[in-house]
Amino acid sequence: MSRNRRPSKQMLILLETLSARAQQWRHGYDLMKETGLLSGTLYPLLMRMTDQGLVEAEWREPEQLGRPARHAYRLTAAGIAFARTAPPTSPVSSTKLALA
Amino acid sequence: MTAALSRAVMSLAGRCLGTDRQEWALAMQAEFEAAAEDGKPLAFAIGCLIAAWREMVKQGEGRLALANYALALGLLIPMAVQQFEQAVGFSMFLGAGIPARSAGQNPYLIWSQNSAAPVLLVLWLLLGIAHLCLAWVLVEGDWPRVVKFGALIGAATITLSLFTGVLMLDPSPLIAQAGELAIELSALLASARWHSQLLANGSPELLAR
Repeated sequence: MSRNRRPSKQMLILLETLSARAQQWRHGYDLMKETGLLSGTLYPLLMRMTDQGLVEAEWREPEQLGRPARHAYRLTAAGIAFARTAPPTSPVSSTKLALA
Repeated sequence: MTAALSRAVMSLAGRCLGTDRQEWALAMQAEFEAAAEDGKPLAFAIGCLIAAWREMVKQGEGRLALANYALALGLLIPMAVQQFEQAVGFSMFLGAGIPARSAGQNPYLIWSQNSAAPVLLVLWLLLGIAHLCLAWVLVEGDWPRVVKFGALIGAATITLSLFTGVLMLDPSPLIAQAGELAIELSALLASARWHSQLLANGSPELLAR
């Protein structure tokens, strides 16, 4: 639960993306495309942030019939508060981010 | 081909995540369909596998699973290969006679050694197969069967030692194995103790098994 460590660049990017439309539920693949993070980076981040209570997740019904339900994410109140106190991100290329 | 490989990688990622992160495995699986539609299923699947491995390393039961894989791949399977090599060596001596510790001039002893050769061959093969099975049940976390295969290996080794002594055969292959078996037993005991500690601490994944 401790969030004393300085958030990583990837976490800041994700926080910024999620807080841009804080009330909206977002799917993992859409977040990948928006943040430029790879699935190997995004999912551990989402798991950690969910464990820390910064992000909430829920299953959403598929938009098209015959598709599986999808997990969607958005910031919790604690996540929104944390995003406000987090330092702004500097522009970094998506390749650098994903590999970092 | 790429689609099948990607699905296999996704399935592996799901298994690596374990039962307490199963919801995340399902979440990744659902997003995989979106990635496949976008034409990037393999990159997505590999990323999910990396994510699963990262999670494995963080959790106690994940570290135990990795240690068991290392034990199986680094020790048990090489030992099985070594024992199959011994069996192949014995099969070559079946016609020509087995190398003995003494000069082996006694015709009765030579006859006994040659008569025992098929049994020795079967024992070496049994040891090799038992090691392969032990490696399999260890990574599966099937501890009752680990004990059974451990007992089988112990019994086969003792029988092999008795035959080697009684028939005055060259004991050097068995002596070389003794040290390796001691290391193997210690590693298995350490892994079993680690497993029982995790169980005592109420690890959700282990309790779910």
